[in-house]
Amino acid sequence: MTGVRKFLQTYAIGLIVLVVAVVLSLMTPHFFRVENLLNVMTNAAVVAIVGAGMTLAIASGNFDLSVGSTAAFAGCVSMSVVPTAGVAAGIVAGLLTGALVGLANGLIITELRVPAFIATLGMLEIVRGLALIYTQGRDIYLYGQTEYKVLSGGHIFGIPMPVLIAVGLAGLIALVVAQTRFGRHVLAIGNSLPAARRSGVRTSLVLWGVFVIVGMTAALSGMVISAQVLTANGRLATGLELSAIAVVVVGGTALSGGRASLVGTLLGALLVAVINNGLNLLNVPIFYQELTVGILLVVALALSVDRSFNPFTQLRRQQ
Amino acid sequence: MSADNRPDGPAVGDSGSVSQATARSGRLAAARRSRDWDVMWERYGITVVLLIIWGIAALTIPNFSTRDNLVNVLRQSAFVGVAAIGMTIAIISGTFDLSVGSTLGLAAWVAVSVARVAGVGPAIVAALAVGLIVGSINGVLVSVVRIPAFIATLGMLFIIRGFTFVITLGQAARFNGKSFIWMGNGTLASWVPVPFAIFVVLALLGAAILRYTAFGRYVYAIGSNSVSALVAGVPLRRSTALVFIATGLFTAASAVLIGARLYSAGPGLEPGYELKVIATVVLGGTRLSGGRGSMLGTVAAAILFATLGNLLNLVHADSFVQRVAVGLVLLLALSIEGVRQRLAERLSRRLAA
Repeated sequence: MTGVRKFLQTYAIGLIVLVVAVVLSLMTPHFFRVENLLNVMTNAAVVAIVGAGMTLAIASGNFDLSVGSTAAFAGCVSMSVVPTAGVAAGIVAGLLTGALVGLANGLIITELRVPAFIATLGMLEIVRGLALIYTQGRDIYLYGQTEYKVLSGGHIFGIPMPVLIAVGLAGLIALVVAQTRFGRHVLAIGNSLPAARRSGVRTSLVLWGVFVIVGMTAALSGMVISAQVLTANGRLATGLELSAIAVVVVGGTALSGGRASLVGTLLGALLVAVINNGLNLLNVPIFYQELTVGILLVVALALSVDRSFNPFTQLRRQQ
Repeated sequence: MSADNRPDGPAVGDSGSVSQATARSGRLAAARRSRDWDVMWERYGITVVLLIIWGIAALTIPNFSTRDNLVNVLRQSAFVGVAAIGMTIAIISGTFDLSVGSTLGLAAWVAVSVARVAGVGPAIVAALAVGLIVGSINGVLVSVVRIPAFIATLGMLFIIRGFTFVITLGQAARFNGKSFIWMGNGTLASWVPVPFAIFVVLALLGAAILRYTAFGRYVYAIGSNSVSALVAGVPLRRSTALVFIATGLFTAASAVLIGARLYSAGPGLEPGYELKVIATVVLGGTRLSGGRGSMLGTVAAAILFATLGNLLNLVHADSFVQRVAVGLVLLLALSIEGVRQRLAERLSRRLAA
């Protein structure tokens, strides 16, 4: 029983993606075409990139609600640097912006002892405001600087760059979680912060690292989004934080912390993108897409909820 | 190093020699003092801060203390404040509700649409019915299906927003009947804006529920420790469901006021509202971890945010700066406790040495 359950929990999301894909290819001839599939994967990648960072944050028992704002700010900073300093410098500037926001998050959480939820909620407002002030509320265009499009439109062996970034990033973070001391410390903190501290984990340092990584992944997402249309503005990626958390959770990473499933996050992002694409192809009004994400979240969690740590059941066991 | 040393309770020393014992009692006394301070700050801190800001603003900014402006500030505080009453109950019980932003949009649209065809009374009833239904669904998802509240209400946020777009086809409803818009724009005795009066009455109601009903005590008990509460005989499932129904109802009340204020409501109302409401509650001194919090703080925090926006308008700061200011105030208010804790720890360590 537990074996079956565990198998289902690990691979359910992959199976669901497959089933949905098969159903869609039967319903519309347009789904199973190379351009469309690449398009779906690119859409999934934008959320999966920041989702990979968010997975790490959730594994450490925290959230980062500021990622949408960080994506916008980093996208704007990056694009504004490109005309004078070039594409490489622009990308570095964007990543640096993300890292700085992440570091600020980490410092507020560990040094001022503000709970991560509030700290990043405050930073959501602050960084969004900074992005709007920085751009004076206007759009930043990159006329003729099409090299920047390498972030969104580049291909290697026919695979779009955002997909490569998402998969590479998720792989890297999965490796870090499974193979490095830092990764084990992140999981230890996610399981129990006081216990990790008393075991000698330098919790503050680890959390700074986590939030810097999340900030940089958010920045990458923001840059990919702005590269797609070669335009950035302060309103970019509004609500990205909740989509990212949704994707991580659909992917099976428990909100309670201590575990990370990067593959799950990739598949979660893919599932949402496949469903949205299917709705588009079937001419369903765009309003239904949010409905789907919501239902997906509730159903996924209703099926996979871990009932062992629930006070409702705990009492029954004690009696 | 000190950052890695958060207390999980009062410091406990080894008993043994006399000097160690005195050091220990010193530390315990320091811990007790700091706890008193915590409680005072949590309960009254934000109210005092609000009064100080009002005092300074009245002295330094010429147009602040005019009647029209103060009426405006108080009116503005109600639109987030009323929903924050319900959210205060939810957060004290150790949970929160992310679906309020979408619920607001749906309930406001229903209120405006019904007001147009059937009048004010039915509009209020219909909006509250929306709040009741959404709250019940949230309650069932959390207490029966046992989905963590964060995810359940996040899912509902998406579902309700999608649903609202679908039934409204993306169109806003409009109605400017006099008695309807009076609820959002009217003023009593030329000093008290109607939404603020409603806000105060509902806040008193919320405070009374928390203080004088069994449900209110259950809310604190569940927020402190849900397992102990259950063992002590608190009807956990029913109370949890009721908490979400309460947030739904208060959000719906907020929706009526906003619909009446704007003469219109559509599905675009109002992304990010849930985070504003949570920020207000937390600024008011209610702990996110549950078990502690007060309605007074929430009311003061709602007025404080409204005051802040108003002051920045009066000094012609643009709306972008306002967002930065809102975030900074939130972080500042919430970090005071942590910074003070660290100072107290350093002090008690020096006393112990």
